[in-house]
Amino acid sequence: MSNAGIEAYARALFEIAQAEGNIDVVENELFRMARAFESNEQLRSTLTDATIPSERRQGIIDQLLGGKACNTTTQLVSLVVGSGRSRELPAIIDMLVKRASSEKKLEVAEVRSAVELTDDQHKRLAAALTIATGKQVSLKVVVDPTVMGGLVATVGDEVIDDTVRTRLEQLKSRI
Amino acid sequence: MIGRIVSQLASEDPTVTHNWLLPETAEIIYGGLSSLLVFGLLYKFAGPVAKKAMAARTERIQKELDGAAQARTVSESDAAEIRKALGDIDTERSRLLAEADVDAAALIADGRVRIASEIADLESKATADLTAARGRGTEELRAEIALLASLAVPSVVQATLTDQTKQELIEAFIASVGASR
Repeated sequence: MSNAGIEAYARALFEIAQAEGNIDVVENELFRMARAFESNEQLRSTLTDATIPSERRQGIIDQLLGGKACNTTTQLVSLVVGSGRSRELPAIIDMLVKRASSEKKLEVAEVRSAVELTDDQHKRLAAALTIATGKQVSLKVVVDPTVMGGLVATVGDEVIDDTVRTRLEQLKSRI
Repeated sequence: MIGRIVSQLASEDPTVTHNWLLPETAEIIYGGLSSLLVFGLLYKFAGPVAKKAMAARTERIQKELDGAAQARTVSESDAAEIRKALGDIDTERSRLLAEADVDAAALIADGRVRIASEIADLESKATADLTAARGRGTEELRAEIALLASLAVPSVVQATLTDQTKQELIEAFIASVGASR
């Protein structure tokens, strides 16, 4: 799909979520869904498999997100999957998140952590990243056990990496 | 005279001789004349041929004698050459033996030098190989240790990363990022 197509989908989803009045929640849930889609090979291959009927793939989304995400999030993901755009789901969601942050004059800060952050940590980290980058940030936390410990934050082109995984890789290369 | 002789001959018995030893006079005369005639004819006609044959024979014999003398000269010359060659062979044999002795001595000397050089080369190569093998072994051991360490470290770290440690790492990150500007 072209960039224009992705942008059109992102704009449409954003406007729906905004109209529903829960853009912050939907944005966060969609962001997590996109990261799960990227990291889970089985989920990705199932949702992009053209031999599986779209109703069946939408059913999988309902089962996956039902009760864990709000209705709007589930319906938006189901809409994208049902239209046969599963492959572009992460790009559409990233564009939506960017648009949402841009509306709030915020920069998206993707943070990967081995464990969930507490609300307090969330706030302090957002403040710290705002100080470090000089930009107001919208924090998107992805729980990624492969980082093992510590955090890696990506704000635009800037990456602040202090994870155990990276330190181990550096140690490995030094050895 | 001839008539008298003829009449005398006619009056005599032809089967009886006048002397027990000598023939009749006429017979002597005729025989003598005939002999002279025969000898004369022989001298005239057969003489040159015989003379020529004798000369040819003499010449042939002389030629054979000359040939024999020449052959003898050649034989003597050959014999001298053979004797000389025999002497030369002895000299050549001595020379060859002497040369062979010199060559053998030089070969042995060269061989000793070459073997000594080859032994030195082999020793230095063996030393270099040993050094290289030792270096390779050290490198391989180091690589092996590095590989094992790189495989073991993540597991060890993962096992030692408690929730509290993870929280401390998050707090350290927030603190360091907040203090970075």
